[in-house]
Amino acid sequence: MADTSNLLALFREVVEEVDKKKLPDVTEKSVIADLGIDSLSTMQIIGELENRLDIMIPDDQLVKLETVGDLLAVVERCAAKKG
Amino acid sequence: MAMLGHEGERDPVDTRLALKLYEEYKTFFKNAERTRRWNVFDDIPWDKIRKDVPEELALVVETFCAVEAYLPDYVSGGLALVRPYMGSLWFQTNWGYEESKHALSLQEFLLQSGARTDEQMVDLQNKLWAGQRWTPLFQTGRQMTIYGAIQEQATFVFYVRQRERAKELGHETLATIFDFIARDEVAHAHFYEGVVKVLLEQDREGTLRDIATVTRDFKMPAYDLVPDYDERVLVMRELAGMDRDMFFQKVYFPVLKAIGIGRNDVVQAMARQRREAQPSAE
Ligand SMILES: [Fe+2]
Ligand SMILES: [Fe+2]
Repeated sequence: MADTSNLLALFREVVEEVDKKKLPDVTEKSVIADLGIDSLSTMQIIGELENRLDIMIPDDQLVKLETVGDLLAVVERCAAKKG
Repeated sequence: MAMLGHEGERDPVDTRLALKLYEEYKTFFKNAERTRRWNVFDDIPWDKIRKDVPEELALVVETFCAVEAYLPDYVSGGLALVRPYMGSLWFQTNWGYEESKHALSLQEFLLQSGARTDEQMVDLQNKLWAGQRWTPLFQTGRQMTIYGAIQEQATFVFYVRQRERAKELGHETLATIFDFIARDEVAHAHFYEGVVKVLLEQDREGTLRDIATVTRDFKMPAYDLVPDYDERVLVMRELAGMDRDMFFQKVYFPVLKAIGIGRNDVVQAMARQRREAQPSAE
C-alpha cells in the first residue's frame, strides 16, 4: 500500500489535476488553506485520491482537515483498513 | 423537452415529470396542512417577550429578516423558472406564504421586544429596496431546485442553532419563532430533495452535472444585497458555529444522502466538467 511519501506525491499530482496548481514545496505540515486550496477543491482532491486508491472514506471523517498531513492521515487509515 | 429549464422556454411539457412534480407537491402540501401550520399571532408566546435582547442576537434576527425580505424577488424569480410545471409553481406560491410568516414573525419580534423601532425597520426596508433586485443565482429551474435543497437545509441548520442559542439566553418567544421557522425550512428542503430525485431518475448525468455546478457556485441568498452583509455573516457565524466542516457535515452531505447520491458522484461529475472544459489534445 502507498506509504506516506508516495501519498504526498500522489496528492501533488491530484492537486495539479483538480486545481491546476503546482506545489513543489508542499509538505505534510502545509496548511491546506494556505496553499490556496478551498473546501470544494479539498472535496474533489479527496474524491480523486479515493478513486485512484480504490477506497471510500466515510463522510464523517472529513472534519478538521487543517494540514495536508491531516488529510493524508485519513486517506492512509482508510487504505490500511482495506489492506 | 422542457425540464425545469430556462426562463421563457416554451418546449412541450414532459408529462411524466409533470405528474411526478404534482405528486411531490401534493405530499408537501398535505403534510403542511395536517402537521405544520402555525399562526404568527396565536401560536407564539408574545406575552413572554423580554425587552433585554442582546444586540448580537438582535443583529442575527434583523439579518434573517432582511434576507427573508427579498421574498417577492425570490418568488417571481422562482416562478419564472419552473413554468409550466404546476407542481413546482404551486409549491413556489405556497412557499412564499410560509416564508412571509418567517419575515413577519421576526420583524414583530424586533419591534415588540424594543430591539428595533418602527423607524429603524422602515429605514432597513428602504435600504433593501433601494438596492438591487435579487436575481436567481442559477439559470435553470433544475439548478435552482438543487440550490433550493441545499439552501433550505442550510437555513434549517442555522435556525436550529439559533433556537438553541435563544433558549440558552432565556428568550422563549424567540426560541418558539425559530422552532416554527426551522420546521418549515426542513420541509422546504425535503420538497426540493424529492424533486431532485425525480430529476435524477429522468436524466441522471445532466442532473449530476447541475449538482456539480451548483456545488461549485453555491452561496447563501441575497449575499451581496443585504446592507453590511459581510459583517453580519461574521457575527452570525460566530454565534451559530457554522463553519466549513459543519456546512459539509450538517448541510451538504445530508442533502446528497437524501437525494440518493454520494460525494463521489459529484466529484466525478466535476471531473467530467473539467475534462469538457479542456481544449482537446488533438
Ligand atoms: Fe424562511
Ligand atoms: Fe425556506
